[in-house]
Amino acid sequence: MGFKIMPKSALVDWVNHLRAGYRVVGPQPRHGQYVFAEINDPADLALDYPTSVLPPKQYLLPPREVLFNFQNSGMRIEANIKVEPTVILGVHTCDMHAIRLLDHVHNNGYADQHYQTHRANTYLVSIECLKPCMEHSFCKSMGTLTVPEEFDLHLTDLGTAYTVDIGSEKGEKLLEGFDQVWEASDDDYQLLSRVLTEKWPRFSYRLDFDVTELPDILNLSQKSGYWNELGDRCLACGMCTKVCPTCYCFDVSDNVDLTLKNGQRVRTWDSCQVEEFALVAGGHNFRSKRALRQRHRFLRKGKYQYEAFGMVGCVGCGRCAQACLVHITPVETFNELYRRSQRTEPAEVKA
Amino acid sequence: MAKPKIAFFEFTSCEGCQLTVVDSLQDHPELLDAVDIVQFREAMSEKGEDYQIAFIEGSCSRPGDEAKLMEIREKADLVIALGACAHLGGVNAIRNRMPLEDVRKYVYGDKAEWYATYPARPISAVIPIDAVIPGCPIDRNEFIRAVTYLLQGRLPYIPDNPVCIDCKLKGNVCVYQRGMTCLGPITLAGCDAICPTYGEGCDGCRGLISAPNIPALRTVLAEHGMNETDIEAKMTVFLTYQRMELEAAGHDS
Ligand code: SF4
Ligand code: SF4
Ligand code: SF4
Ligand code: SF4
Ligand code: SF4
Repeated sequence: MGFKIMPKSALVDWVNHLRAGYRVVGPQPRHGQYVFAEINDPADLALDYPTSVLPPKQYLLPPREVLFNFQNSGMRIEANIKVEPTVILGVHTCDMHAIRLLDHVHNNGYADQHYQTHRANTYLVSIECLKPCMEHSFCKSMGTLTVPEEFDLHLTDLGTAYTVDIGSEKGEKLLEGFDQVWEASDDDYQLLSRVLTEKWPRFSYRLDFDVTELPDILNLSQKSGYWNELGDRCLACGMCTKVCPTCYCFDVSDNVDLTLKNGQRVRTWDSCQVEEFALVAGGHNFRSKRALRQRHRFLRKGKYQYEAFGMVGCVGCGRCAQACLVHITPVETFNELYRRSQRTEPAEVKA
Repeated sequence: MAKPKIAFFEFTSCEGCQLTVVDSLQDHPELLDAVDIVQFREAMSEKGEDYQIAFIEGSCSRPGDEAKLMEIREKADLVIALGACAHLGGVNAIRNRMPLEDVRKYVYGDKAEWYATYPARPISAVIPIDAVIPGCPIDRNEFIRAVTYLLQGRLPYIPDNPVCIDCKLKGNVCVYQRGMTCLGPITLAGCDAICPTYGEGCDGCRGLISAPNIPALRTVLAEHGMNETDIEAKMTVFLTYQRMELEAAGHDS
């Protein structure tokens, strides 16, 4: 659909323009880090943020969501699906790939009405990363450093202006009635192509192998002693899963009020790293050890999801590594398993 | 269904948890329609001895407490520990690692002889209990939740999650990244991570999760600039009793 140009000086006006019709959320500084939150003052928006504590998935899968209200008398159930047109500004490309995976999961098999409604009412304004966001990111290795087709608008920072790539009719709507955007000139195209070419050398490949080998490496590592080493270090705090843009496991509970007449069914983000996650009726816990839970987490990211959806479940955002107090990171884990798989191969042949 | 008769009792405590119950009545006056409170010194002067559910605040810190606890256990169908003192021995249990004589002298001076105190224990060390409502003080929403469970004929249930789970559900910036320290990774969630939310590290007032990795957290605390003495002090405030139990069972603490 072609590129437009928006001068940076127009950003505040554009955000205000959007706020007239939508809830507008975006990255803002908070205690030395950045969080996605509603933008009440466009001056708070920090489009050149490094990374955020929680990924923007919180608007598609709220951490805690009332699914429906019920009344015990007459078994009345009333769906609670809030429609709130929301523009998410400044979604990084790794997080866009994560949303692509979430879309796939929630639109296939048992389609998730709540997710679908949020998603249909969400306008994704992504932004090109021109330098690594932080020490833990490894998007280049995971192939997530370019934007997938799910964006509505995609911005690239050209210094004094943004290029605005229009990806959908929803994206066009966001520019409707706003007159501080214009067609890109030949010079703009040249500048864009230079900016995009120059960005690549700034990123390094951080996996010691090609990502397509990851499922096999993990498959060979199922019995590795490394999982016990991780299990000894891991606090089972669950932070790595809470901050992950591709984690979507949830728990469901029915909460009634003191009259016992009315209640709500609520779903809350869960985590495979906590003790009770794999506890089933009868008291059996099939992943009662931290080592088994760590193995599950990494196999799920690098193998199970690839096998199920054709997409690797880790987009290389590095949030889990940044959050983990005991420094368990996907880069280190995947590389270590790769090293060990190389080492043990000859021995296995001998045996 | 007849309204359940409930009673509140206190042992060694500050009565802050009972005050929180009074507080929760302000938000949830319908609680008074749901239950029949027969004994609650904090809020009323009548005293009924016929009750089904006993909420007990406070730790057992004197030999004389034991008979009263057993009497309550006899009378009540369900006994619920209310707050950190009843649940964990509370801050009172800090003294459990110190010579009792010194503690008595420090607290009571020349009247130390008059007081027959011994190491502070959770009430579960004296009588079997049915459930706990953790916290110092308890969380008022959790109290209401617990009563709702009881009205449904279930025991209050608290997921075995660490505070970090609640903390991240709220999208908080981890206090470790703000130059502070926190016991959240080993502490039982349910308080909505109120301390980190307000910019303070967790002190562990809700007690340990079922399988805490304490050695790993010690490493974390040391990496964040705490020396052995400070780490020990931090883990002493609310966790002394539970940690001494772990030590007695041969586990890391
Ligand atoms: S963040 Fe680290 S310590 Fe916490 S559960 Fe994940 S791997 Fe374990
Ligand atoms: S596993 Fe870690 S690096 Fe990968 S997507 Fe999740 S949070 Fe990001
Ligand atoms: S991990 Fe890569 S794509 Fe994601 S925010 Fe960081 S630099 Fe951008
Ligand atoms: S502030 Fe404390 S509770 Fe919150 S994530 Fe950090 S360690 Fe966990
Ligand atoms: S955050 Fe920790 S210290 Fe604070 S109320 Fe919760 S359990 Fe207690």
